Amino acid sequence: MTVPIQAEALDISFKLLPAIIVFLMMASFLIIGFVFKVADTEGMWVAGRGIGNIENGMAIGANWMSAASYLGLAGLVALAGFYGLAFIVGWTTGYFVLLIFLAAQMRRFGKYTAPDFVADRFNSPMARALAAFTTLLIAYVYSVGQARGMGLVGQYVFGLDIIPMIVVMMTITVGYLALSGMLGATKNMAVQYVILIVAFLAGVYVVGFSQGYSTVLPQIEYGALFSELGRQFSEPFIGGNSYYLWVATAFSLIVGTCGLPHVLVRFYTVESERTARWSTVWGLFFILLLYWAAPAMAAFGVDLFAAVNGISSDAVFSGEQAMSGAEGDVIVVLAAQFAELPTWFVGLVAAGAMAAAIATTAGLFITASSAVAHDIYAELINPDATQRQQVLIGRATIVGIGALVTVTAFNPPALIGELVAYAFSLAGVVLFPMFFLGLWWENTNRQGALAGMTVGLLLWFTSIINSVLPAYVGFLADVAGGSGQALVPIYAQYVPPIGAALVGTPLVFLVTIGVSMATPEPPLETKRMVRQCHSPEPMGQQQSAENIVSDSGGDAPADD
Amino acid sequence: MSHNNSRSSDDAVTDGGRATDDAATDGGVATTAAQKHDNTDYLSEEVNLLKPSTAYMRDHLRIVWTGFIVWALVVFGPVTMTVLAPGVMTTTMPVLGFPWHYFLVAFGAPTGALILAAVYARQRDKLDEKYGIDHDTDAEPAEPEPAGSETAADGGKQE
Repeated sequence: MTVPIQAEALDISFKLLPAIIVFLMMASFLIIGFVFKVADTEGMWVAGRGIGNIENGMAIGANWMSAASYLGLAGLVALAGFYGLAFIVGWTTGYFVLLIFLAAQMRRFGKYTAPDFVADRFNSPMARALAAFTTLLIAYVYSVGQARGMGLVGQYVFGLDIIPMIVVMMTITVGYLALSGMLGATKNMAVQYVILIVAFLAGVYVVGFSQGYSTVLPQIEYGALFSELGRQFSEPFIGGNSYYLWVATAFSLIVGTCGLPHVLVRFYTVESERTARWSTVWGLFFILLLYWAAPAMAAFGVDLFAAVNGISSDAVFSGEQAMSGAEGDVIVVLAAQFAELPTWFVGLVAAGAMAAAIATTAGLFITASSAVAHDIYAELINPDATQRQQVLIGRATIVGIGALVTVTAFNPPALIGELVAYAFSLAGVVLFPMFFLGLWWENTNRQGALAGMTVGLLLWFTSIINSVLPAYVGFLADVAGGSGQALVPIYAQYVPPIGAALVGTPLVFLVTIGVSMATPEPPLETKRMVRQCHSPEPMGQQQSAENIVSDSGGDAPADD
Repeated sequence: MSHNNSRSSDDAVTDGGRATDDAATDGGVATTAAQKHDNTDYLSEEVNLLKPSTAYMRDHLRIVWTGFIVWALVVFGPVTMTVLAPGVMTTTMPVLGFPWHYFLVAFGAPTGALILAAVYARQRDKLDEKYGIDHDTDAEPAEPEPAGSETAADGGKQE
């Protein structure tokens, strides 16, 4: 099950210019964040009057620019062919579901972290803790994919062995996190998006143009390559990649998109629910700028791989000289290297990948630290926690999760894109049903939410234990009859970790609805909050549904 | 349907500024819709995806479900067609050179979702227009006034 550690074809050595580019890119994120910093969210409203459609759309795009999109996507398309397209579909079309069902309602509800939403909607500290635990797990699994990506690509720039490379890159990430915290920099996501998309598209256009693959629209022109690429590049449903797995993967990624904590938070700073809607549309457009081009880069990479190694187009996919998983994961950088472009240019493409991975990981670590320090420690374990204690717990969380991610990334169970997809299926199974039912059915209650989240977590864990752990844990491998085997093959077939949501999400819906119907309805106050989320009446910038409901709840006129 | 009891027909007329405006610019439909909107206390109407309780939500959900069905066809249609009729779907497209199934999934589905998203956001704006809701002028908090003379101006509230 585990994949090769290192990309053999990559030119691994220290390169000065690319190293400088990486440094400049990270510095620019920090400096721009520092220059435009605002004291707090209140300050943001006063100074910036909230964020508009296009800027917030870019921020949504920047969130999406992790190693999974930048590297993993093209890798999956290159290695898994038609199955890889399930990732393109899953990671884009989910935004439509988010738009029609959740974006504006979430803006009106006015809570932007999963634990906050779940706790307020279901009036339960226990629900908050479950959501916080889920958030922590998502951050962990998601970061493993990022760590693998930054380690692999870091080798091209810094030339270390893979294990020291991952350690160094993770240290840089924590340093970046600490520095941005010290500077009080508010992330300028729009600028970050522009830098990353330019680095990626420059790679695609220049490789396509210099190799004579394409001119102005590589996103469409790679079609002409299909007659020369191996059959496996486009043949549907080959190997173990059945129709069921395709649909399960796409479905998981779609509902995962709607349940991911760091997607929600993007609606925090928008002016109004109308801006929430239109910025989702723009966000999808900005994401597509990358997703239209990624399969083109994969096609170029596969073709160049055959040409450079002097093998037939089918030998890329099977046989001794076939492309390894690690090579697939860095195909974006490899394609530029194979095209014999100048080192600084390949370095620019690599720097984009590393910057995307570092920025995403830093963001995930902050989410994880606040989930532990605030939502679990201060809310549940020690209600009298001082600010200082919370900060300490938060820092300890970052160090702990950083170490855990680093060690896991030494020997990851899957490709970058697949690792990140595990996190999506978790979000889709546990959090999406809470958001969806919480906002669209006012009678969803605390008992239903607790039961639903528990079932969702159990289902995801059993799926991981069943399919992924036998590769690591000796006695599980013995039970399974081989380290690449699943404990219960039929469960692995229908509830694969990557597509667990196709079975899991409907199940969690049923459990949540069933338990909610069997137990008392939630209090009127809560119902009114849900109703407020669907009222067409405009709301003020800083209002949440809770404010409105409590303001209008009493019989006496508000005394402002 | 719970109409606001505290509002007399008089209020409807005096408060009718918005409705009259609408009548002038948008025609009669808007008036009815906007009046329905003014007469609805959204905090007293049940929220249930399967049983929309207000006129606004019924109209909104019509847009949502239509979009959702088209989306499901765009996203899962091509891949399902490919498993049902692999021969037809894997033929090569003229000019572009893609096999059909590949192009419809890699390019068609994401692009379709983008178009649908823009269409939905546009429709939703139109719906707000029909109900006389303006997101731009209400940038400042439009506090729902709980009682008294403001009641009429704001659409009232159920006591």
